[in-house]
Amino acid sequence: MVIDLDRCTGCAACEVACKSENNLATVSPEQAEMGRAMSWMKVISEVEGEFPNSTLQFFPRPCMHCDNPPCVKVCPVSATYLGEDGIVGQIYARCIGCRYCANACPYTVKYFNWYGPEWSESELQHLNPDVSVRPKGVIEKCTFCHHRLQKAKEDARAEGRELREEDFQPACAEICPTRAIIFGDLDDPTHRVATLKDDPRSMRLMEELGTEPKVYYLRSRA
Amino acid sequence: MPATGEGNGKPGLTRREFVWTMGAAAAAYGLQDLPDENGIFWSPEPKVELGWAPGLEEFRTSTCLICPSRCGIRGRLVDGRLVRVVGNQLHPLSRGGVCPRGIAGLQMVYHPERISGPMVAEGARGGGNWRGVSRDEALTLLTERLRASRTVAGPESLALVAGYCAGSMQALWHQFLRSYGSPNYVADDYADGTDCVMGLMHGIRRRPAYDLEQASLVLSFGAPLFESWWSPLQAYVAFGGSDEDGGQRPRFIQVDARFSRTAARTQEWVGVKPGTHSVLALGIAYVLIRNDLHDADFLSRHVAGFEDAVDGAGATTEGYRSLVLRNYRTEEVSAVTGVPVERITALARAFGSSPAPVAVCGADVTQAPNGLQAGMAVHSLNLLLGRVNRPGGVIFGKDPPLAPLASPVLDDAARAGLTSQPVAGPGPAFGTGDVASRFARAVAAGDGRVENLLLYYADPLASSVHPEAWRAALARIPFVVSFSPYLDETTRHADLVLPDLVSFERWQDAPSPASYPYPVWGVAQPLVEPQVDGIATGDAVLAVASRLGGSVAQSLAYPSFEELLKERAKGLFEIRRGMLFASEFEGRHHRQMEERGWWLREHDEFEEFWEDLVDRGGWTDLFHDFTDPAGIAQTPDGLIDLMPEELTRALVANGLDRTPYIGLTGDDAVPPADFPLRLMPYRVSTLASGTLSLERWLAEVPGLFPETLWYPWVEVHPDTVRTLGLEEDTMVWISSSRGRMRARLKVFPGTAPGNVCVPYRLQHPDGELANPLQLLDGPTDPLTGLAPWFTTFVRLDQVGAVD
Repeated sequence: MVIDLDRCTGCAACEVACKSENNLATVSPEQAEMGRAMSWMKVISEVEGEFPNSTLQFFPRPCMHCDNPPCVKVCPVSATYLGEDGIVGQIYARCIGCRYCANACPYTVKYFNWYGPEWSESELQHLNPDVSVRPKGVIEKCTFCHHRLQKAKEDARAEGRELREEDFQPACAEICPTRAIIFGDLDDPTHRVATLKDDPRSMRLMEELGTEPKVYYLRSRA
Repeated sequence: MPATGEGNGKPGLTRREFVWTMGAAAAAYGLQDLPDENGIFWSPEPKVELGWAPGLEEFRTSTCLICPSRCGIRGRLVDGRLVRVVGNQLHPLSRGGVCPRGIAGLQMVYHPERISGPMVAEGARGGGNWRGVSRDEALTLLTERLRASRTVAGPESLALVAGYCAGSMQALWHQFLRSYGSPNYVADDYADGTDCVMGLMHGIRRRPAYDLEQASLVLSFGAPLFESWWSPLQAYVAFGGSDEDGGQRPRFIQVDARFSRTAARTQEWVGVKPGTHSVLALGIAYVLIRNDLHDADFLSRHVAGFEDAVDGAGATTEGYRSLVLRNYRTEEVSAVTGVPVERITALARAFGSSPAPVAVCGADVTQAPNGLQAGMAVHSLNLLLGRVNRPGGVIFGKDPPLAPLASPVLDDAARAGLTSQPVAGPGPAFGTGDVASRFARAVAAGDGRVENLLLYYADPLASSVHPEAWRAALARIPFVVSFSPYLDETTRHADLVLPDLVSFERWQDAPSPASYPYPVWGVAQPLVEPQVDGIATGDAVLAVASRLGGSVAQSLAYPSFEELLKERAKGLFEIRRGMLFASEFEGRHHRQMEERGWWLREHDEFEEFWEDLVDRGGWTDLFHDFTDPAGIAQTPDGLIDLMPEELTRALVANGLDRTPYIGLTGDDAVPPADFPLRLMPYRVSTLASGTLSLERWLAEVPGLFPETLWYPWVEVHPDTVRTLGLEEDTMVWISSSRGRMRARLKVFPGTAPGNVCVPYRLQHPDGELANPLQLLDGPTDPLTGLAPWFTTFVRLDQVGAVD
């Protein structure tokens, strides 16, 4: 994934699209106060300078899907793993809720379910049937909408062709009104991300830790 | 219901009904063939329960009705349940993008607190006791009430307070009120005065549209482009630019007194003192004129009032040029606005030398004292560079050419009623001003004519600048009907509630917002079955009209609101121009054909046209005639007027300096000792249309502060916080001479010292309202009738310390 910070307006469409696609539960205001709100994709902001010379940068922050993921190394039950397709996954049924991974993740993108999700009878209607609802006591995280990859692969197989770039887009990239989030296969030179990752503006968060994140940011031009 | 292909932007071509195993899909993520360190596969067996059935996936096109932007959407349905809202890539304005509000619209549909069906207040009004009634009973009750009042008290006893409903709903309401005989259509939507600015200068009483996509430089004066503008999506699409043009994007510069999200994300922010946007604009005009950067040819051919004029008696009237050169020297402008001299010069040079610049006027400009002249000052920059009716400039949009509703039939009672004076009384010198407040004050002051009040997308007790007038007015009106789907503040005080169906459940049309240069007619078709026993207000109005009989029924003889829309769409079918929503490529093709006088017929039969129209989401005409002189000015002499005589007369009548632009001297009011801080209310994007914060997802994405969830807040400069001895993240009272509200204190260095910025109309989790407009204490502008937003001073006190 490549995120062009020059195009990001901080509108949070990615954040809400993710919540909708992946059935993210909402915690109570009191729990939110304790930092227990969950947002697999979170638009964080950084303000510098005082009026009238302030600047602000938004960073949409999904899971970095590291090639060398610290979370995987500490999981005692192999509930989190690096898949063949490069996506760092989470198997809820295996997770024992020890939260080692949440503490090991330098990007703080792993979220713990302190309570079971609460949906009213009517709200159950809008849950996405492709994504399981997580129970109390497990860790959850951005999956790059892995269920969409599954479906795209099945479609491609059924049609007897290779997977195309546009076949698989996570919800955040699909919805971004300024097209600041670009998604594709970093290893496929025909995909836009493969070119953009080598852009002079390109950078990765906390690269020095050796995590080898697969989310690249393009610095703001301004 | 027609389905469209999934995600590839080509409707109807790849209709696929995906059959899914819900259980298998849900477990799919856990079904990786993943061995652990010991080579053991842990994948659980998929469980298929008895009674399990595959889910049927379907995509339907519609239009989001949550804010005025009216973006194209597609709903993903599984077994008839709406599980996702995505963008319609064919929509010319939104191009597949959707804002958080649209996505979270799901939560409006399935909100547990929706009113489940029509209900009547039991006992004292506002007591919270309701009795459920059937739709038929509710409609009968309303009909009988209206019938009786029409005979006894006269048709003028009916009043409607309507929020933003541009399109056929508005036309329907007007037709209903006219045929009933009531002059009391009370608009409670966005009055920003920009239509008055255009009316005065161009003779075209219409809000200006901006061709942002083709502009090279967008200089926005206080327009909340990325937040609560007419269409944030229009701004987003322009800001994102086109990938095809090698990344060509307009440069955005934001002039704002507040470090807003727009200011933060445009390429440049110019922080000005509150209320001085227009002074900066004239400072830029000064540099443009001094450096001959203005378009002298355009000014000489299309603009009056630029040069000094000498009348027959030899008296000289000062023109815009002399006035600006005399009064808005860069040093003086710098002192008033707080913007350094070099910055003003650089801005003017950037604006004057850009190939296609445009100056956008926001409500922050017109909602200041002398708002009308301030708006003119900003717009004058467009005139100086000849940026009217040009690609990338200011364009006067056109309405979609719909078939009009049949002429209303008026009986004697209706004719008599329509001659009576509207309850709201005469408006201000220009525009309609705050009609809703005038209405409430008139009723509160004793105008007893109104017996029946209808509330349609209006919640004045929560949103108004004058809730106290509304409380008094509601107490005096015998019968109040609300069409709100939720029990909002004002609906609590209703006698009868006929809950409307929400966006995604009802038929409605969706003309493009005022800011978009091309006519667009989006269609909102229901994506899901109604989740409650409500009734679409359009259908309710038609049903009441039919039951009232007589001339009202004759005026509105449509079997349903859907049929009414279909009838109106015949105008589009017959106009022989424009096209149904199509890809960008096809849109360009159509535009080029129309430029050459051709038009491509796509449908021979209206029924086919209608089906395709609903399937693709709507109709548009992307051709604009840039050579039409009527697109520049429609004044008697065909010239744009920089110094309108009509304004001079109004200024004199109100005891103000008769020379336009002279009153723009900035706001140097000294704060009173008790209230040392200037209040700056603003709208956050998630509440852009001013409705309640109903969606939990939106409560988690409130604004500039990612950690601020759920609670209304106030942004204060760190020095101010230190001086006042307050603590961050604690609750404070914000008090003005009119009242007070609670909010959480956020330290924010982007806020100017001495100012406090407060988002408009958030709610505390316990339902307590936090509406900073209810603190405003400045006088309304005599020319526009609008309340100034930035002239109120407040103080902050720790909650607890003063209770």
